[in-house]
Amino acid sequence: MSSYRRFPWLFILPSLVGFFAFNAGPILISLLLSFTRWDVFDPLNLQAVVDSWAGLENYRTMAADPVLHKAFWNTLYYVLVAVPLEIFISLMVALGLNRDFPGVKIVRTLYLLPTVTSVVAVGLLWRWVLNPYVGPVNLALRWIGQRLEALFQGTSLSVPASVHWLATQGPGWLSDPHWAMPGIILAAVWAGIGFRMLIFLAGLQNIDKTYYEAASLDGAGPWRQFWDVTLPLLSPTVFLNTLLALIGGFQVFGLIYVMTGGGPLDATNVLLFYLYQKAFGIFPPDMGYASAIAWLLFAFLFVLTVVQWQLRKRWVWEEA
Amino acid sequence: MSKRKQRIADAVIFVVLLAGGLTMLVPFLWMISTSFKEPGSLFDLPIQLWPEKLHWENYQRVLTAVPFARWYFNSLVLALGLTFLNLTSGALAGYAFARFSWKGKDAMFLVSLITLMIPAHVLIIPLFIIMSRLGWIDTYYALILPGLFDAFAIFLMRQNFISLPRELEEAALIDGASPWQIYWKVALPLAAPALATLGTFTFLAGWNAFLWPLIATNSIAMRPLTVGLAVFNTQFTTEWTVLMAGLSLATIPPIIVFLAAQKYFIRGLTLGSLKG
Repeated sequence: MSSYRRFPWLFILPSLVGFFAFNAGPILISLLLSFTRWDVFDPLNLQAVVDSWAGLENYRTMAADPVLHKAFWNTLYYVLVAVPLEIFISLMVALGLNRDFPGVKIVRTLYLLPTVTSVVAVGLLWRWVLNPYVGPVNLALRWIGQRLEALFQGTSLSVPASVHWLATQGPGWLSDPHWAMPGIILAAVWAGIGFRMLIFLAGLQNIDKTYYEAASLDGAGPWRQFWDVTLPLLSPTVFLNTLLALIGGFQVFGLIYVMTGGGPLDATNVLLFYLYQKAFGIFPPDMGYASAIAWLLFAFLFVLTVVQWQLRKRWVWEEA
Repeated sequence: MSKRKQRIADAVIFVVLLAGGLTMLVPFLWMISTSFKEPGSLFDLPIQLWPEKLHWENYQRVLTAVPFARWYFNSLVLALGLTFLNLTSGALAGYAFARFSWKGKDAMFLVSLITLMIPAHVLIIPLFIIMSRLGWIDTYYALILPGLFDAFAIFLMRQNFISLPRELEEAALIDGASPWQIYWKVALPLAAPALATLGTFTFLAGWNAFLWPLIATNSIAMRPLTVGLAVFNTQFTTEWTVLMAGLSLATIPPIIVFLAAQKYFIRGLTLGSLKG
């Protein structure tokens, strides 16, 4: 059947309208706003943009804004800790669950429960789970601390301060500036590994079983098989999963909003949360500055994707 | 490795995996346990793992204090509306890109793929401004309509239509059917599995959406569940038993739906992961 040779208006129209009204149009507006001092009460037209034109002012302000710098480092902290943890743990779990044993489906389901829970619910739940006094995390840590303390008391050694601290107190989590980000990361990793595991499992199930049979015949043990068969063949999936996790990590918002509101003392303020504050959390809102932050974040994501794509050639094994 | 060693290794792996799986479960159990505790008893020592008497009044309080049913309804409207819009426009455009040819088609397809690179956070400020100028803030329009164009849906449906055999459509063409009739009667029914997968993913994305609904709604009655809960959190910030009762009501039904339709969810999630 040769294709119909004409423009299919009826088929394209809904997407076309959506494209101009809710994608291309907004992108253009956002870009323009980032160069202005536009106010929410100004009209939305070209004249208003020209009248409030500020050139690179917003971008220069960013260079000297200490909160923005803090938000940047916080974002980096979050991404560099949460993403490797998420990828490593989910890969281990996927490797373990990529086999048949009784009950494997049930265990797999357990890991997926947080995946179907909204990020807001996860954040609220973890605020309670991380309660320094009665939350299960600190209850468990205190229990461990007390066992350690008992061990020391049986000997002539004095109890180290850190062990005593663990046994009696433990981390203050979300209310302590040093522990707030680790607390968020804990919740994020808990919530994220199920989904990452699912992608790894799909990748593992695509590996042809005959490779393992061949490796086995050549005398390769489980360890060699993992390094020389599984990992190379899974590397495209590892790449995809890492890239998605990085992109998602740079845009962390819901957990921060619910768990700490960016605090304490901006210890968990990240780029997207700061953007939200500037555009919707203060009055009058600073739409121009917030838009500039949006493009800064976009620039990071863009560079990240390009760099990853370049590195891809180095470590991703591809069938020629 | 000997058989015996292998069996021990398997047992160790199984125990570690199970422990990890239970770690996934503990926060949920803690949530349910707290939701049944007596409001003033949470900080009494020793900590009770499970309350002796079930305190249903936490649930009563949450259901009278906030419009839970309405929030559920809003989330459902949002998720279903988004799914419907996304599937309709995505399948239509996907079919056009698969079966029609016109001048500039490749350029159009490329431009739509480029939009996948633009993260949603770039759009929220201008979208908010546009929606408020249209007077649509705090309506379902603002929540749903931004899903009218979705490059991922178009891409997925195009790939799917290209992979379908053309014979049936050709036969219909010879019988004198119009492209429109062929699309509805022949092509679309064949695309049902792809639609189901895309639909699952879009539904879940809509159900869990937070940032845009947070900005696009401002009255209590128009909030979807995610936004309602987040605001509710600031309202009951120390009433943990009530908060956990609300959270149980919000999380357990989706989990039940997930358990019932796990197969489809997993397929949808795996495929949808390409979208990021």
